[in-house]
Amino acid sequence: MGNKKSLGGIAGIFLEESQVLQAARKVRESGFIHFDAITPYPVHGMEEACGIKRSGLPYVTFIAGVVGMLAGLGLTYYTSVSDWPLNIGGKPLFSLPAFIPIIFELTILFAALCSVAALFVVCKMPKVDPPTIDKDLTSHKFAIFIPENDVGFSQDRVERLLKDLGANEVKKVAEY
Amino acid sequence: MAAQNHSHELKLSPFEAPQRLKIASMAFMFIGFITFVLGFVKNPERLWTSYLTSYIFFVCLAVGAMFFIAFNYAAKAGWSVSIRRFAEAMTSFMPTMLIASFVLILGFKYLYSWADPAQAHALTGGKTLYLAQWFVVLRFVIFCLGCLWFRHLIVGNSLKQDKSGDHELTHKNLRNSIGFIAFFAIFFTMYSIDLLMSLLPTWYSTIFGLYVFSGAIQATMAVLAIMIVWLKNSSWIQGYVTEEHQHDVGKFLKGFTIFWAYIAFSQFMLIWYANIPEETEFYIMRSLNGWTTVSFALLIFRFIVPFLTLLPRAAKRNDSVLVGVSVLVLVMQYVDLYWLVYPNFYDGVPQFSFWEIGIFIGFAGLFLMGMIKFFTKNNMVAIKDPRMHEALKHHVTY
Repeated sequence: MGNKKSLGGIAGIFLEESQVLQAARKVRESGFIHFDAITPYPVHGMEEACGIKRSGLPYVTFIAGVVGMLAGLGLTYYTSVSDWPLNIGGKPLFSLPAFIPIIFELTILFAALCSVAALFVVCKMPKVDPPTIDKDLTSHKFAIFIPENDVGFSQDRVERLLKDLGANEVKKVAEY
Repeated sequence: MAAQNHSHELKLSPFEAPQRLKIASMAFMFIGFITFVLGFVKNPERLWTSYLTSYIFFVCLAVGAMFFIAFNYAAKAGWSVSIRRFAEAMTSFMPTMLIASFVLILGFKYLYSWADPAQAHALTGGKTLYLAQWFVVLRFVIFCLGCLWFRHLIVGNSLKQDKSGDHELTHKNLRNSIGFIAFFAIFFTMYSIDLLMSLLPTWYSTIFGLYVFSGAIQATMAVLAIMIVWLKNSSWIQGYVTEEHQHDVGKFLKGFTIFWAYIAFSQFMLIWYANIPEETEFYIMRSLNGWTTVSFALLIFRFIVPFLTLLPRAAKRNDSVLVGVSVLVLVMQYVDLYWLVYPNFYDGVPQFSFWEIGIFIGFAGLFLMGMIKFFTKNNMVAIKDPRMHEALKHHVTY
């Protein structure tokens, strides 16, 4: 969940996938909104557990694809019909079957590049030297991070909640 | 929500076919039989073109389902295990297919100019040997028997596993599946060339086998999607087949929609561009008079409409949208085969009447009856497959 900027907060470290999945659901049910789950690999069902909405990327891809298609149509029309008309094999200047591969390729190119670009923008990548909570989170541990600006945040409450949910360790994070 | 799907209670009870379905399939077979006998006596030319179209339609579904099973075994896919039995049910048409194939041989002389000794000399070079009748029949029989044999191995092992739960059977099926895919690639190509392309024996298209294949798999996915929607919350199975499986089959359906268009366009564009008489005759026939409409209908209803409809995620998870698209795809698969067969016989005027409908309904009855018998005899889910836990936990992320 995209944090606006680095924030302090409290993180609970879990050792089991099932624990963190259940913890995420419980944290959401307790009313927190801006929390994040950090796992070393994609955990099935985590989106629902965290209440993450579906990303808007497919719309970017679709619109970019349509723009690419129109660009391909424009390019082929401009080059073959208006800028430099050539008679090839007696076929009409505007021969759609011959243009379709170019239109298709440009559709794919625009859609793919714009999706990657949009992904970078949405995820605020590249992040140089991002803050880490625990280095084991990239291999075998899981974490739930609740930032201090979240609705109803209080240090006692969050620490107790995470402990109750089975966190192996609860620690204060200066910035994440 | 998907996360809750995992905790669904699993229920599996023996299939009992609804009485109406049984009666319908009996009635369908009866109508088909009457049409066949009537056509055989009164209108053999029309009967055999109609027979060929419907016959290939259902063969495509049976071998397409076999291919679906094989590539899932070959890829060691886990998600599809709980819907594999549905595809296996579709292959139960294969014994019927063998008989129907022998019946088709009776019609060769009405359909193929190479089967008529008076016309066969018009063929030149290597084609004289390739289209010698004994050679065609030999390839034809190898294809049908081969499919039946691979079905016996692969589906047989899968059914055996329901009792024994032996993991070794899955490993055996991996090898069988790779064998089937190789066999299928070679012999289905020749099968489609022999039965469809040779209707116009002077015409060449090297991508033709792939064209028929792409349509066949698209249609197979449509049937699978319909079965999943119908059966996922039925009184016989609960929890094994979910919206997630439906979504993935929907993706396959969309993927093969694109693949079909890609292959169809590849075939068309190269022929259009090169403009060689022995290649263009195929498209000229199909762009005259009434056939223009059919050709454009293929482009619009077999590619553009299903593609755009299936694009949003929600469409693949919506029962009525997915079934609607699937039915459209199946109708267009028939139109596609019709478009391959009929212009060779009926210049400029598409013919469609009860000869086509009756024979199609007859085959549909046979196909349905095969599936009903298969489901009645066997479990509707491959319960002891070692990868079942993957299928039960299957979850499509956003």
